[in-house]
Amino acid sequence: MELIKTLEELCNIGGISGDESAAAEYIISKIDGKCEWRLDPLGNVLAFKKGANKAPHKLMLSAHMDEVGMIVTYINSDGSLCFDTVGGIDIRILYGKRVFVGSGRIPGVIGAKALHLLSDSEKESCSLSDMTIDIGCRNADDALKLVSLGDSVVFDSQFTIFGNNRICSKAIDDRAGCAVMLALMDMPLKYDMQFAFVTQEEVGLRGAQAAAYSADPEFAIVLESTTASDIPCCADEKRVCSLGGGPVISYMDRRTIYDKELYAKAFETAKELGIPAQTKTLIAGGNDAGAISVSRGGVRTIALSLPCRYLHSPSCVIDIADLENTLKLTKKFAERIMEL
Amino acid sequence: MNTADIEKTLAMLCAADGVSGAEDGISRLLSEYLADSGDTASDAKGNVICRLGGFDESKKTLLLCAHIDEIGFIVNYITDDGFLKVSPCGGIDRRVLPASRVTVLADGGKNRIKGVFTSVPPHLQSKAHSPAPIDELFVDIGLDGTHSKKAVNLGDRALIEAPLMRIGSLVSSKALDNRICAAALLETADLLNGKQTAYNVVLLFSAGEEVGSFGAKTAGYSIGADISIAVDVTFGKSHSESEKQTGALGSGAMIGISPVLSRTLSQTLMNIAKTEKIPYGIEVMPQRTGTDADALSVVKGGSIAATVSLPIRYMHTPVETADISDIENTAKLLAAFAERGGV
Repeated sequence: MELIKTLEELCNIGGISGDESAAAEYIISKIDGKCEWRLDPLGNVLAFKKGANKAPHKLMLSAHMDEVGMIVTYINSDGSLCFDTVGGIDIRILYGKRVFVGSGRIPGVIGAKALHLLSDSEKESCSLSDMTIDIGCRNADDALKLVSLGDSVVFDSQFTIFGNNRICSKAIDDRAGCAVMLALMDMPLKYDMQFAFVTQEEVGLRGAQAAAYSADPEFAIVLESTTASDIPCCADEKRVCSLGGGPVISYMDRRTIYDKELYAKAFETAKELGIPAQTKTLIAGGNDAGAISVSRGGVRTIALSLPCRYLHSPSCVIDIADLENTLKLTKKFAERIMEL
Repeated sequence: MNTADIEKTLAMLCAADGVSGAEDGISRLLSEYLADSGDTASDAKGNVICRLGGFDESKKTLLLCAHIDEIGFIVNYITDDGFLKVSPCGGIDRRVLPASRVTVLADGGKNRIKGVFTSVPPHLQSKAHSPAPIDELFVDIGLDGTHSKKAVNLGDRALIEAPLMRIGSLVSSKALDNRICAAALLETADLLNGKQTAYNVVLLFSAGEEVGSFGAKTAGYSIGADISIAVDVTFGKSHSESEKQTGALGSGAMIGISPVLSRTLSQTLMNIAKTEKIPYGIEVMPQRTGTDADALSVVKGGSIAATVSLPIRYMHTPVETADISDIENTAKLLAAFAERGGV
C-alpha cells in the first residue's frame, strides 16, 4: 500500500535534528510539481496546495522531519567514538545496538564494558560515559579517515511489518506524520491548505516556531506520534494510550493546552467517520503544538497523534489501522475546521 | 581457506540458530559441512563429532572442542494480552534487551516470529539510570492473547538476530561466542587435510556449554580423549576495559593457565607458537576456566586439558566483535600442535 511504502522510505532515511536535509529532499521529490513549495532558512519545507475551494480559514498542517539519534563528540586515541544523544533518548536502550555514522553511513556498534567484568555498582548504573561507538578502527588517525566530530549517528534499523498489522522501525516519530501529510497532498482537497514539514522538533520545537510565523495560520493541526505504554508492568493509569485505539486527541500535554472546541470537534468527526479515537490518560510529552499555538497573536491548535510503543528507540511500534485512521480523520477534520 | 573464505564461513556459522538445548540448526549445518572431512556423526544432545583421518591405536587421541550453542531465550509464559515472558538461556547481558528486535523460533524454528523487547518509557520510570530489571521485560510480537498463544508454545526458543557485518577491520555479529571458534576448528581441519598427525584428531562441536557444558560432559565421555583443548572466547579489550583484564584483538589466541589445566600442555602450546612464530597471549585464570575444559578434564579417568581462547568484545551481546586474523592464527597453532605433538 502506498501509505506504508512512503512510511518505509521515510523511516529508512537518516535525519537527526539539525540534519534533516535527506528527509527534506525526499519530501520535495514527492511534492514537486504538485504544489507550491519552498525551503526556509531552518530547512523547513513549506508547501501550499490548492483545493477545489478557496479556504475560508488559513489552516496549517504540520509534522516534523527530524528523528532522535546521536552525535559524535570525541574520537578516542584507540579509534572508538564518544557520543551524546540528540533528542530525548532513554540511554538504557543504547548498548548493543548497531548504528551508522555520518553521511558515509559508516557501520558501527555501541559498545560498553563486558558484563562479566563489571563491578557490582557498575552493574546497577547506566551512563553515556560508559559507552562508545566502535567502528573497528585501531587508532584515532584511522577513525578520522572515516568520520568527523559532529557527525550524525542513526540507528541501523530494519523496517518490519509483523504480528497482526503492526510496524516496527526507527524514526516513526515523526515520519508517520510526514507520510500522512504526503498522502493527503496526493488526494484532491476540498479547500486550500498549507503543509509544514518542519525541523528540530526533538531539540525544542524550533523549526515549527519559524514555520508557524511564516505561514501565519488561524488554525493548525499537528500530526505526531505519541507514547503508548500499553505494555505489561505498566499500571493502567500510566499507559497514556493504546495501539489499535485510534488517533490520539489530547486536551493537554507538557507543552500545550489544546483548543477546547477543536478537541470536541475532533472526537465528533471520528464518530461521524465511525473510526475509533482516544485521548491521553497522562499529561506527558509535548510537541510542535507548543510553539505553533503561541505563534504571532496565537493559533488555534490541535494535535492528532499516532499511538506508538517504544517511542524514541530503534524499534518504535505502531498499528497500521491507527495510521490509516489518522489519515482519514485528518482529512475530514481539516474540512470541519474550514466550516467553523 | 583464505581470509575472505573464513569470513564467509563464519557468517554462515553465525547465522545458524543454536540456542542452548536447541542446537539443531547449527548442528545440522556442521554435519553437512564436515561430511567430507572425516567420520562425522551427531548425537542426541546436539553434539557434532568429526574424526579426522583414520584411527591409529598406537597414537593418543587429541580432542579439539568448540561449543556451538549460543545464548538466547526460552518462552516461559504468555500474558492474556499476548506478550511473551522469556527467560535467558545462558548469561545474556540484560543491558542490551530493551528495544532490541527478537525472533521467536516457533515450531522448532520453522515459523520465525518477529518481535521486539518492550521498554518502559523513561518518563514512567523511577530508576531511569539503572538497567531495566529482566522481570519487567517482555517480548511484543504484535498479536493479542488468543493469537499469541496459538502461534507460540511455552519452551520455544528466541534469539536476537544480527547477521555478521564488517566494521572497519573487524567483524561484528551475534553468536561470535562461540562460532568464531567453530570456524577456527574448520580451518584447523582444512590445514590438516592430507597431513600426518601425531595424534588421532577428533573435533567436538559441543552443545549446551552456556548452560553447564552438558554436551562436553557426554561427548567427552564417548570420545575418551587423552588430550583435550577447549577453544572458546575470552574478553577482548574495547575502550571500556583495562588491559589487565583483557586480550587485544588481532594478537592471536590466548593460551590459558589455570589450576584445572595441564601446565605441560599449556607450555607445549606456547613453545610451538614461539617456534612457528604464531602470535599468542597468556590468559591466567586463578580458578576453573568457565569453558568446556572444566568438564573435559575430568571425564572418565581424566584427560590433560588446555584452553585456547579468542578475544571478543562485548561478550554475550548481539554485537560481539572480533578480528578474523585471530581465527587464522588459532588454527595455525592447533594444526601445528596436532602435527608435531609433544605431550
